[in-house]
Amino acid sequence: MSRPRLTSAQFGLVLVLLIEIAVFSLTGRNFATRDNAFEVARLSVEIGLLALAMTPVILTGGIDLSVGSLMGLSAVLFGKLWRDAGWPIGPAIAATLLAGAAAGAGNGLLVTRLRMPPLIVTLGSYSLFRGLAEGITGGVDNFTGFPAGFLFLGQGYLGGILPPQLPILLAAALGFWLLVHRTTVGRALVAIGFSPEGARHAGIAVERHVRLVYLMSGCVASLAAVIYVAHLGQAKADAGTGYELLAVTAVVLGGTSIFGGRGGILGTLLGLVTIAVLQNGLRLSDLPAELAGILTGALLLAALGADRLRATARRPPGEAPTAPAPLPESTEVPVKNSQVAFLAAVILLAAGLVAASNWLVVRSIVREADRRDDPAGARAAGSGDAATAASGGGAAAGPRRKRVTVAMMPKSKGNPYFVACRKGAEEAAAELGVDLVWDGPTDPDPAKQNEVIDTWITRGVDVIAVAVENRAGISTVLRKAQARGIKVVTWDADAEPDARSFFVNQATPRGIGEALMDNAARILGGEGEFAIITASLTAGNMIDWQKEIEKRRAEKYPGIRLAALRPCDDLQKKAFDEATAILGAHPEVRVIMGICSPAPPGAAEAVKQSGRGDVKVLGLSLPNMNKRFVHEGITDCIILWKTADLGYLTVLAADALARGTLPPGADGIEAGRLGRIAIEGDNILLGTPFVFTKDNIDDFDF
Amino acid sequence: MIGRLAGIRHLREWSVALVLAALLAALAFLAPAFFRADYLRGLLVAKASVLIVALGMTLVIVARQIDISVGSQFSVCGVIAGLLSTAGLPMGLVALGTVAAGAAMGATNGLLVAGLGLPSIVVTLATMTILREALRWLREGQFVLGLPDDFQWFGLGQLAGQWTVILAAAAFFLAAAWGLRHLGAGRAVYAVGSDAEAARLAGLRPRFVVFLVFLAMGAVTGLASLLSAIQFGVVDPNSGAGLELQVIAAAVVGGTAISGGRGTPMGTLLGVALLGTIGPALVFLDAAPEWEKAIQGLFILAAVAVDALAWRKR
Repeated sequence: MSRPRLTSAQFGLVLVLLIEIAVFSLTGRNFATRDNAFEVARLSVEIGLLALAMTPVILTGGIDLSVGSLMGLSAVLFGKLWRDAGWPIGPAIAATLLAGAAAGAGNGLLVTRLRMPPLIVTLGSYSLFRGLAEGITGGVDNFTGFPAGFLFLGQGYLGGILPPQLPILLAAALGFWLLVHRTTVGRALVAIGFSPEGARHAGIAVERHVRLVYLMSGCVASLAAVIYVAHLGQAKADAGTGYELLAVTAVVLGGTSIFGGRGGILGTLLGLVTIAVLQNGLRLSDLPAELAGILTGALLLAALGADRLRATARRPPGEAPTAPAPLPESTEVPVKNSQVAFLAAVILLAAGLVAASNWLVVRSIVREADRRDDPAGARAAGSGDAATAASGGGAAAGPRRKRVTVAMMPKSKGNPYFVACRKGAEEAAAELGVDLVWDGPTDPDPAKQNEVIDTWITRGVDVIAVAVENRAGISTVLRKAQARGIKVVTWDADAEPDARSFFVNQATPRGIGEALMDNAARILGGEGEFAIITASLTAGNMIDWQKEIEKRRAEKYPGIRLAALRPCDDLQKKAFDEATAILGAHPEVRVIMGICSPAPPGAAEAVKQSGRGDVKVLGLSLPNMNKRFVHEGITDCIILWKTADLGYLTVLAADALARGTLPPGADGIEAGRLGRIAIEGDNILLGTPFVFTKDNIDDFDF
Repeated sequence: MIGRLAGIRHLREWSVALVLAALLAALAFLAPAFFRADYLRGLLVAKASVLIVALGMTLVIVARQIDISVGSQFSVCGVIAGLLSTAGLPMGLVALGTVAAGAAMGATNGLLVAGLGLPSIVVTLATMTILREALRWLREGQFVLGLPDDFQWFGLGQLAGQWTVILAAAAFFLAAAWGLRHLGAGRAVYAVGSDAEAARLAGLRPRFVVFLVFLAMGAVTGLASLLSAIQFGVVDPNSGAGLELQVIAAAVVGGTAISGGRGTPMGTLLGVALLGTIGPALVFLDAAPEWEKAIQGLFILAAVAVDALAWRKR
């Protein structure tokens, strides 16, 4: 490794990257701009740091699955030190980094002293660190209100254009590159990964070096956590959930062997950029975000397969393999016909995937062209026309009435509740001739919401309508959107009032809490025990509802006691398990309240199977999932608003806002099939929550 | 002697059994309601599918591989079972289709790992992402609704259905325990996991064995997903979320060595029982739920550390 040279795997990645950039420059709006390049960079900083520190770990033949959880623990620790212990920001950051280093050193000690496999050690600390973070905050506590100077680190612009965290990433990249490729320590790491026993005989202090890489990994995870907090403006126990696998993916895609002994920093950076550009480009091209995951997986397989074929083809028989492979057979035989055939099949499959995505791309271009034509839909979408439209010129608008583009975001795309809202949104879009962009995080990750909004700002839309997951975190980016002339409304859950024009309020936490508690009290007859099953202990809206339920209970129903509160991770099965445990442990519980959509059906199934006719279920959920139990008399009632109406009203309000027919201070809005809807201050009120019971639930289908 | 009778052969199994016994004793003392027959039966039903997947994972880890795509496979199989059933197929065909779908996904992993000699952790990381995102894309998180009456409990009614699930898991456990110890195929997995080169010289075909192990893992995941799905009247498309780490942890706590060649179904059973009891125990002991993950993590680390210390002393 005398000079930084691209290996052929890295060369392949560069090629993929160039293709991505070429394709997305055509299909994505404002993809190839300086601002977009910096936004992509800003959003990859946290994962990038983790991936950089993961590279030496994997080089030694180890792995660190605990980094995502450690981010959560560090964020909480940082918040505690700053808010509760009253430390200034500087020392708090220093202490957090030290704590992260200590946690990483703990992993390293277990790996070296006890000779425990890194996969297992970090699997254990993966649970432990996240658990500590949740335990310390009780799951619910979160830290906000950080000073502006600190938030600048995550949200500001140096000289008006450069995200401040980018130099940190570059410095870290340079540091790790020097360490791995320019020092004896780096050589030692590669040697250890190649053969620990051999390295020991060559006089390398194996254990000390291995401890060092885990220590660095922990310390860098803490740094990533601090940047994450500055980026979101909020420190919470769920920071960095799932980041460990993203980091591993970037490292391995960059050509570092998972068995150690081969790879480098340059490859990791390439892998990182390839994934980040893919995600960003798909978003700007209005393609489904799930494609990013699918294509990343396919790329990973293709990269591995190509690497394998090259390695086997090049090595003369009898020479030692470049990496300890799991199956000796395959390393000794040069290339088998069957292997070639199989690789060809894999490549064909990958080609199929690429072709499918190309088809989607083309379809999106054609649609784009259609959209630019008049709303009546007279088609004249020649290919030249499509190209001009796709290149993003605003000139195409011409004399026709300009169509409004509304970008609408749920808290998470995979949630049936939001899927039901989308139906109404699409109905309104069709009625009004609005272009509706529907996108959001696939995992419940608050940082992802900011990322999507950033791409929308780059892409250029007329209105952004967002169901807010993280109030403090999202408001900065919404203000940025407003500053660029994009109108902002919130729906389902609100942001800071100055970060949006209107909030489409389906029901306040208070309204929901009171409806739930009043109905529970009605079933209980004013006294007894009940239990709550929530989605997760850290979800913001769940916490608000729990508070309102408790407030109502304390005020009006002192005879009722909350016996248990358990999280179900938004899974029906887990809700079932928890409800079963609650029924066994608290025989006096007469009502189980599920406050996320899979919880009431899960709990009702548990009640049914236990045969406890004296226990009733109620909660927030969708009618279709609960009809059976409502009719069987196990579930007393389901409380929700009409989700389609919420989506409908949101798009309607967004359109009115863009056309200037909804001025600030309006006291109502004509809402199509909903009639006139009242506005109170800047809240557009859908009405009170609706109670679905045996008598009316069959009238609804969502 | 007692150990022989119980099928316990390793130190780890003893230590895990001891911790489990202590936990159960604490429950018996502090929360006797835990031991009510219908509650325990419900708990067994709930953990049956976890046990089955964990046994498959034990096989994979013993063969010195790993499969982190089982959670995604589990979700996909559940949705497939639901869709086949709503399409009007009889339950026998639904079961067959679900297991076949799992086997196909397992075979894909197996082909990539054994056929091309790619590292299983990266291959299954890729297939995990691909399967999960594809399912999200196609289903958008929607539950499978409108299942026919014979879907839940195979139409057998609750009690019979529960016993079917428990007995299926028990039969699978016994078959795995016996087969891994006494059948040539079972010993071959240990041989390949201990030293693939030696196994090859002894006349085994390590790559074929590894392929079959992944195929079995997929089929077993399909079976477990079916047994889990039929406990409900609707199918949750996220049913397998987080399952991979849960079953790897259970296998490892039960003494399966990640370096291959060591591990028993009995140990995995104990691992599943221990990790599966912690959650409910916290409810019965009225402990704060936010510490559950931390306690799980401590148990995993402690179990492995104790074992490592004991090995070092020898």
